[in-house]
Amino acid sequence: MTKRIGVPVFPGTNSEDETVRLLNDCGGDAELVHWSQAQRLAGYDAYVLSGGFAYEDRIRAGAIAAHDRMMDFVIEGAARGKLVLGICNGAQILLEAGLVPGTGGVRKPTAAFTRNAPEPHFVCRHVYMKLAMDPSRCAITRALEPGALVPAWAANAEGRLAADDAHLREIVAGEHLAFVYAAADGSVDDAAVPNGSALRCAGLVNRTGNVLAIMPHPERDGWNFNHLDRSAGTDVLEPSGGAVLFRSFVAAVSS
Amino acid sequence: MHNTLASRAPSVALRDDELARIAQRLGREPTVVELHAFDAQWSEHCSYKSSRRHLKALPPSGPNVVLGPGEDAGILHLGTHDGERYGIVVAHESHNHPSQVVPFEGAATGIGGIVRDVLCMGAEVIAVADPLRFGRTEEPGSHQRYVAQSVVDGIGAYGNAIGVPNLAGDVYFDRGFDDNCLVNVVALGIVKESDVISSRAPKGAEGWELVLVGKATDPSGFGGASFSSLTLDAGDAEANKGAVQVPDPFLKNVLMRASYRVFALLREMEIVAAFKDLGAGGIMGCSAEITSSGGYGADVDLDRVNVAVEGMPPQVIAVGETQERLLWALPPEIVPEVLRIYNDEFTLGEVARNARATSIGVVTAERRYVMRHQGSVVMDVESEFLTGTIHDELPYIEIIHHEGTVRQLPAVDVETLLPQVLAHRDVCSREPLYRRYDAVVRGRTVLARGAADAGVLAPIPGSRLGVALAVAGNPRHARIDPAYAAKRAVLEAMQRVVAVGARPIGLTDCLNFGNPRKPEQYGEFVAAVDGLAHAASGFDLPFVSGNVSLYNESAAGAAVPGSAIVACIGAIEDLSRVVTPGLKAPGSLLLWIGSRELVSGGSVLGELLGVEGALPSISYGAERAAVAIVREAIARGVVRSCRAIGDGGMLTALARLAFDAMVRGRAIGAQIDVGNPLCEAAGFVCEVSDDSEIDLTGALRIGETTAATELIVNGVRFDIAQLHETWSRPLAELYP
Repeated sequence: MTKRIGVPVFPGTNSEDETVRLLNDCGGDAELVHWSQAQRLAGYDAYVLSGGFAYEDRIRAGAIAAHDRMMDFVIEGAARGKLVLGICNGAQILLEAGLVPGTGGVRKPTAAFTRNAPEPHFVCRHVYMKLAMDPSRCAITRALEPGALVPAWAANAEGRLAADDAHLREIVAGEHLAFVYAAADGSVDDAAVPNGSALRCAGLVNRTGNVLAIMPHPERDGWNFNHLDRSAGTDVLEPSGGAVLFRSFVAAVSS
Repeated sequence: MHNTLASRAPSVALRDDELARIAQRLGREPTVVELHAFDAQWSEHCSYKSSRRHLKALPPSGPNVVLGPGEDAGILHLGTHDGERYGIVVAHESHNHPSQVVPFEGAATGIGGIVRDVLCMGAEVIAVADPLRFGRTEEPGSHQRYVAQSVVDGIGAYGNAIGVPNLAGDVYFDRGFDDNCLVNVVALGIVKESDVISSRAPKGAEGWELVLVGKATDPSGFGGASFSSLTLDAGDAEANKGAVQVPDPFLKNVLMRASYRVFALLREMEIVAAFKDLGAGGIMGCSAEITSSGGYGADVDLDRVNVAVEGMPPQVIAVGETQERLLWALPPEIVPEVLRIYNDEFTLGEVARNARATSIGVVTAERRYVMRHQGSVVMDVESEFLTGTIHDELPYIEIIHHEGTVRQLPAVDVETLLPQVLAHRDVCSREPLYRRYDAVVRGRTVLARGAADAGVLAPIPGSRLGVALAVAGNPRHARIDPAYAAKRAVLEAMQRVVAVGARPIGLTDCLNFGNPRKPEQYGEFVAAVDGLAHAASGFDLPFVSGNVSLYNESAAGAAVPGSAIVACIGAIEDLSRVVTPGLKAPGSLLLWIGSRELVSGGSVLGELLGVEGALPSISYGAERAAVAIVREAIARGVVRSCRAIGDGGMLTALARLAFDAMVRGRAIGAQIDVGNPLCEAAGFVCEVSDDSEIDLTGALRIGETTAATELIVNGVRFDIAQLHETWSRPLAELYP
């Protein structure tokens, strides 16, 4: 039987449609689950939390949504090994829910994606995420090449990884650092980081490798028409670029 | 009837002759509610009472027009996908006055309002664009600087949260906007042409319910319509703040999605309904227009309106301009399901305090507009008298532009001037500003803002159709000749859309001018409308929507440079034919297509050199020919890259093609030999693989691309990376 992917929609989510579309264009079976039908989430085999401003980013991005009833199902599913991918606001929610890096326990966050630095503004910028761990460390990245570059857009005001030194050390020691920002040629330096993120972090994974939180949006660079200059001569409607991560996710969900 | 008013309320902008006309028609003094209703409805903002007769000159129709001006937005035919005809919904608004007083909220509510104009046509909102005009911002702590920064923050905060990409826009800094900024906003939507929802109650709507949707009505935005029709006085800034509405993008995000669900329900049930944005005039204005335009009256009970605070006077509930509200006219049988979608499925009341969908009245056959409050009738007037056409024929002085001395500038010191031109505030990179806007949310962006002359989207999932959007309107031209500036704005917006490979299909405008009661300032408006009409006819393009913003005048009596700001929409049949950014390959030919007049009037170059002179001429025949050459070359597949020429002239356009190649990791330069490459006659610079098939009449080969990372202009060498640095930096000071 096909494995089904649930994409929860919180009040304030704004990237749900393209997330579902790219998952489905990559061979997945994804659909939206609305906040007024939270209990439906139990019936899905995997979850993708999409971007937006759930609950208006009140208190901190993701802080309220982490306590939404929909997250009860996601937290329970993650504990049972279901795959969970959080993108941008979705990533912020996973950190606030304590699922990623997961070193403090459920709803006990030990790190946050928070206000950008040095300038505290929203930044919309094309970036590359470079895989910073062994692809097999996380089920969702298993189909990527080692050191793979995933093109994506950073588009947030709160995308900077922040944690105290002890927790940052834990992130490194526990191999939670999944992606770092890199230039188009794969070189990793501070100029490639759009927001002052600690460890140049673009993504984090949990201990068991089934929950991945990434700040940039691969789905906004997910079809050839999103990057015509890199895809001359191909079908504009084909998934490509950032779709590489979605394909890997769908493959992992189906296996 | 209670609440009868004997004397004039201080906040009312109606003139004595208008008040007398109302009393005469009613046969009595108007009530307070009626007074405020007429004040809003007869304001220039709502009625276009002085501007309407001039606006008639703008061509409203053509083969691409699905819906011309008259409703909340116009619609242009984009193309056919899967056997369905699709339209692009286009709206253009200003939020100048509110943004000058409370810039963050003013700019944010500008986005909020325009999005509703597009939404209420039954469309999915797919893009916004922001043409901005600010004063001189250099002085730390100045209000101009605060306005320029806060407006951008407000646009970002709202647009980013609702998830509508910011696709295009421009910004100029000019002393003429020191006291009055211009904050225009364009929005686009996509809709199947068979699914368009009208803002007019249709045939058979008698007895239908009027369903108010959205935020609880509060005292904010009371008097907004007439506020927009007053000249700003700095001393009244605090008092005016009450007229500015409070934005709630979080609620709007949910309202949009809930409305999309209602659209689907109506399609499924094959029910025709009417839907309209609440803007100027609030509940009264919207319910009067949605009914009166269909030949009906309305009976509205203000006690059924969901309010934020108890005890508001009826006139505030009736005409206050609380944001995030829309009004449906619906057949009664569907009302419970629509209420369920908004209130239960999308839980509006949990999203914002006391927000909901609620039935507030009925559509009536008698053409009277009636409002009740606490058991009394507080308003009872003829619908058509309230909403009908009113005229205000204001005198104006005909502006006759006297051509300055035609001063040729055949040669200039490019070595010194090119870096100065690239660092000029009207030319330098806008990225520090627009990177605060989400350009890519919804995943349909093909060319993001700043990547090219026009933004491009793939509006229909699964389709190869594309839509392009660009804006234009140059205050340096406006200061010299508003009619010319208007024509040139049409030309430049159109050329920008052509430069990315799109076919221009239509226009929209916002006319930002001074005080219409000053014949000199009004004359500028009249001249600009004439210019727009001329150019639109000259290029065979319709204006499907637009907006007029008058009274952009400071207390000292200084009006803004009369600014006709134009947006052009282009259709792309196959996204694979889009012209992508940046020079592509060494050894390409470089063509300069266009008039190449060596005059400096209205140019950055002229400003830097301190020379005045004639404006470059606009010849519709020659400009059409230039567009035809570029479009044919693109169709033949020989165009590798292309830019339209605007501020900073041809050389700036070429430099930007080189920058775009550099930032994408392509080491390509150019070598050209021309006369003065910094004049600003309209045209294109194109990188082509082969020009043997192109009719070169009207085009000039100026050189070729090279494998070196330098620009060589008439023998002068520039390092591209260094020029890029010069061009990139200036605005980072204002938008760090």
